[in-house]
Amino acid sequence: MDLIFLFLVTFMSAFLARHYIFTLTALYRQNGQPHHTSHDTTYRPTVSVLIPARNEEKVIGRILRRMTELTYPKEKLEVIVIDDASTDQTSGIAEEFAKENEHIKVVHRSLEDGGKGKPAALNHGLKYAIGEIVCCFDADYYPQEDILEKLIACFKDPKVGAVQGRVTVLNEPDTLVTRLVALERTGGYRVDQFARDSLGLIPQFGGTVGGFRRSLIESLGGWDVNMLAEDTDLTFKVYLAGYKVRYVNDAQCYEEAVENWRSYWRQRSRWAKGHMQCAFRYLWPHVKSRNLRLREKVDGFLLLNVYFVPILVGLAWTLGAALFLIHSSPWIEIFWVAIPISVYSSVGNFAPFFEVGIGAYLDGRERVCWLIPLLFLTFMFNMLICTKALIDLGVSKVTRKKRHPWAKTLHNGRGNCYICNNKVKEDVK
Amino acid sequence: MSIGIGTAAVMLLIYFSLNHTFNVGTSVSILIFNFLFVFLLFPLEGSPFRKVYLLIAGNIVGFLWHLIKSSLRATSALFLGAETFKIIIVVFEPIIDLVWVVSLWSLSLSTLASGKKRNEGDEKKN
Repeated sequence: MDLIFLFLVTFMSAFLARHYIFTLTALYRQNGQPHHTSHDTTYRPTVSVLIPARNEEKVIGRILRRMTELTYPKEKLEVIVIDDASTDQTSGIAEEFAKENEHIKVVHRSLEDGGKGKPAALNHGLKYAIGEIVCCFDADYYPQEDILEKLIACFKDPKVGAVQGRVTVLNEPDTLVTRLVALERTGGYRVDQFARDSLGLIPQFGGTVGGFRRSLIESLGGWDVNMLAEDTDLTFKVYLAGYKVRYVNDAQCYEEAVENWRSYWRQRSRWAKGHMQCAFRYLWPHVKSRNLRLREKVDGFLLLNVYFVPILVGLAWTLGAALFLIHSSPWIEIFWVAIPISVYSSVGNFAPFFEVGIGAYLDGRERVCWLIPLLFLTFMFNMLICTKALIDLGVSKVTRKKRHPWAKTLHNGRGNCYICNNKVKEDVK
Repeated sequence: MSIGIGTAAVMLLIYFSLNHTFNVGTSVSILIFNFLFVFLLFPLEGSPFRKVYLLIAGNIVGFLWHLIKSSLRATSALFLGAETFKIIIVVFEPIIDLVWVVSLWSLSLSTLASGKKRNEGDEKKN
């Protein structure tokens, strides 16, 4: 039992060390990312923007209006709304925009084919895409006007297969949950993704606010409809194919975060199951791939296992307590402290409290740091979510169930109140 | 950062010389607080005096936290029984120790961020 405890603590300490290195990287490279420039106007490929939407009548108008305000040359841009068998006014609203804007078009999925999840909808939209670069945005998102220029600039490097931008929470002031999710995003993007890009590790494509080379994604077979985390799945496919993913911190997009614990549970359950599916699928191919450097293999290994961390923390806590009571020894006491540091982690990329704090500091936010101790709540919640996700996956493996139901996140459009004159209000920033 | 390392070293020496009876877990919590403060907060913008003050204040709070915890442990063991209380302490002590570490560290970060914002505001006015 001692050895098992030691192994668990070593594993958790590896994650802590990784995040500490990320935090230092973000701190000492505050001047940003010099590897690209959005002002290079010589590189302007054709772009197809895919917006999958199912019953998004409260938010679809907002993003489509934003698509008309993008500064990317309209003659090189097409926006494809995939109406995924919506039963509300989503289709009608999208068609109105398509009538008034030549570069916007709507494709529909029937009730029989539709409603089977975002990957299937994106694959449907991909059939109609003609741009060299394919970008994706969720229907509840609100991007910067020049986001495409910032994302596209990275594709000038032929080794880059995909790009990911930064996600910020639009409705942060609404509830405690939205505030904690905003903190999570700060740690995950401003520090974690930024550091992984700076250090030449594996920044993750997050499923939205990002893009791919169309030729690459078609050669990879599009999005896998059996995976709940199609974004993580594609990230590793890109790397195994010999390409890279880049993260652009300046390419910022606002999202409407979940507002209550129930929605949080549904969303994170899907992420946890999907990420674990990717871990089981890619762990060995990733380790033996010849297209990856050692540091990418190490980071990728830790990234794939990140949703197991809460479960292992719970296990180590129980085991450590038992060992402590049976035969207390100083080294158990020392390692015991690694557990609660891991406890102060957040979802998404499981950033420890110091990573979240430094991210908030780099963003110029000071009062939000007062919420950091509450991250304990999200972590305890996630311990339950990840444990249940693993059990569900185990049961579906035994019952040979290939497809998992896609739990869609509901959006109520309340984030609209934070947008004024096509700009996001300062108090949200 | 050398000021930070020096201050932390002095605080730790004072702490260890004053209190011989604290447990390993508490010692590690104090070390973690000082480590994270020196290596993550000292590189930030802000007056060195403010950082030293916050570091010393954090250590004093940690020391008081340990004293209160020890007193509570001694008193509660009488009512709950030594074995029952040991179980409670074993399960929750690491979290209890980390509460002050995370809270003080976050508060210090917030203070430094406020100072930075104020300085930027003053520079813009000038």
